[in-house]
Amino acid sequence: MEEILEKFETALIAGNADASADLADAIVAAGQATADEIFAHLSNAMEEVGSRYQTGEYFIPEMLRSAEAVEKAMAVLEPYLFESRHEQAGVVVMGTVRGDIHNIGKNIIVSALRAAGYEVHDLGVNVSTEKFVNKVRETGAGLLLLSAFTTSTKPALLDVMAALEAEGLRGSVKVVSGGASHSEKFAREVGVDGFATDVKSTLAVCRRLTGRDGDRR
Amino acid sequence: MNSRERFLAVLAGEMPDRVPIVPVVDGFFAPKVIGRANDDCFADGACLAEALTAAQLKFAYDGAVAEMGLGPDPNVLGCPVEIEGNDVPLVVETIVGGREDLEKLAMPDPWAGGKMEPVQRLVEAAAGGYAVLGSVRSPFEYAATVRGLIEFMTDFYRDPGLVRDLIEAVRPATMAVGRAFIKAGVDALVVKDSFASSSMISPEHYREFAFPSGREAIAELAEEIPVILHICRNSMPILKDMARTGAAALEIDSPVDLAAAKSAVGGKVALKGNIDAVSVIEKGGIAAVEAAVKAAIGAAGKGGGFILSSGDSIPLSAPEENIAALVEYGRKYGSY
Repeated sequence: MEEILEKFETALIAGNADASADLADAIVAAGQATADEIFAHLSNAMEEVGSRYQTGEYFIPEMLRSAEAVEKAMAVLEPYLFESRHEQAGVVVMGTVRGDIHNIGKNIIVSALRAAGYEVHDLGVNVSTEKFVNKVRETGAGLLLLSAFTTSTKPALLDVMAALEAEGLRGSVKVVSGGASHSEKFAREVGVDGFATDVKSTLAVCRRLTGRDGDRR
Repeated sequence: MNSRERFLAVLAGEMPDRVPIVPVVDGFFAPKVIGRANDDCFADGACLAEALTAAQLKFAYDGAVAEMGLGPDPNVLGCPVEIEGNDVPLVVETIVGGREDLEKLAMPDPWAGGKMEPVQRLVEAAAGGYAVLGSVRSPFEYAATVRGLIEFMTDFYRDPGLVRDLIEAVRPATMAVGRAFIKAGVDALVVKDSFASSSMISPEHYREFAFPSGREAIAELAEEIPVILHICRNSMPILKDMARTGAAALEIDSPVDLAAAKSAVGGKVALKGNIDAVSVIEKGGIAAVEAAVKAAIGAAGKGGGFILSSGDSIPLSAPEENIAALVEYGRKYGSY
């Protein structure tokens, strides 16, 4: 089984969507892999893709190619993983804030979080404060991830934070802001519970905020 | 030598009396100078023309950039655009879902509805005293915008034929808009190819998709007017290709090492750049602006072929005194 999972991981990193879906079929057919094992390989793949982007080996089209491979594989794996997925992680609401239409980073993060076992409600891009607040209330999400490509979106982030407070939801949801230009200082100014700049730091901050620090890697 | 002559001298490969200063003060920043909100001016070309004219008058740099809502195709081939508050106009819906939509693309009619009047007004206000630059999307940038960046870049591997066909289909838009600016009397064109950046796509993909159409469009427009090719963030790996497009100058952003760029392509094209619009002009103090200007001119000013500029659009929240400092120190350190 481990050999199929290794091949699966390699196919995701290479962004080979057809091979990823075929290998996902093989994983389901064999029925031996645990959800933990599958998530570990998916997470490894996404982290490797993120790392290759950071070192300049991959660019955005290569990340999208891998994201598409993850998407095709998840379509096969989702029924197989469904029950354990909900038990393992938390419910996340995510979107790119108002005034920002960048969705590349967000989509990669959504795939990575799903792969890591979260139930993710993706609201898309240019999302209004009202939509974020309503979705958090409706789903009872424990995590709200606000994607913002540049720090010029600070007013939009502050608006969401104020609305969560005003609606009495701030105590029940941890908020993470994310984007390549985010920093601890920026996160402090906006008042979020954590920040992330890439796939790896997003998974880490989500694990920390959901009290799952001891989980795999 | 007045501002316009100084700017054009560099594009013609001649030696100016000092380094020309043409920061990218466009629709992000200029409306503030006349006390107007960005959304007023994005929706109203006359407002933006007034703002750009006032900003040039206030800071006395050598050229004004007609850009962001001002010009022949504010709606990007018919994509619905949303303007709200001080946000930049956002294309909120793309119009090419697949190959079947290529035929539906409507090329812009630059002269319809008085869209070129504000540009003409800006040119009249400049009256040959300073340069006016018209900003045009490259075919690659048009294609990415009407398809949506994610789908477009996913197509690189999924359907590269569609990428090429789409770029070819929108090339007439770049040409029509470029020619309208030329007819309106601008002094140079800036062909924007932001998505071709090596911060986004590999140099191989640049050469495969963005370069061929960019070169064709630039070479054709350059027969009539000097063209500056803008690619933001990191463009170092493709700089030599950019220099082969027929552009008279390359507008480069702060991640590029100016001295290395000058050494790589300085014999062939002029360089325009590359003060960091955010960390220096928006967030730095006057001392940071002075240091950056001095370093940039030191790295690329020698022997001409250099236009001092921000690497990209100056953000709304940049302090006015930093733009004034850019011009002041550009003059101080840029004399030949």
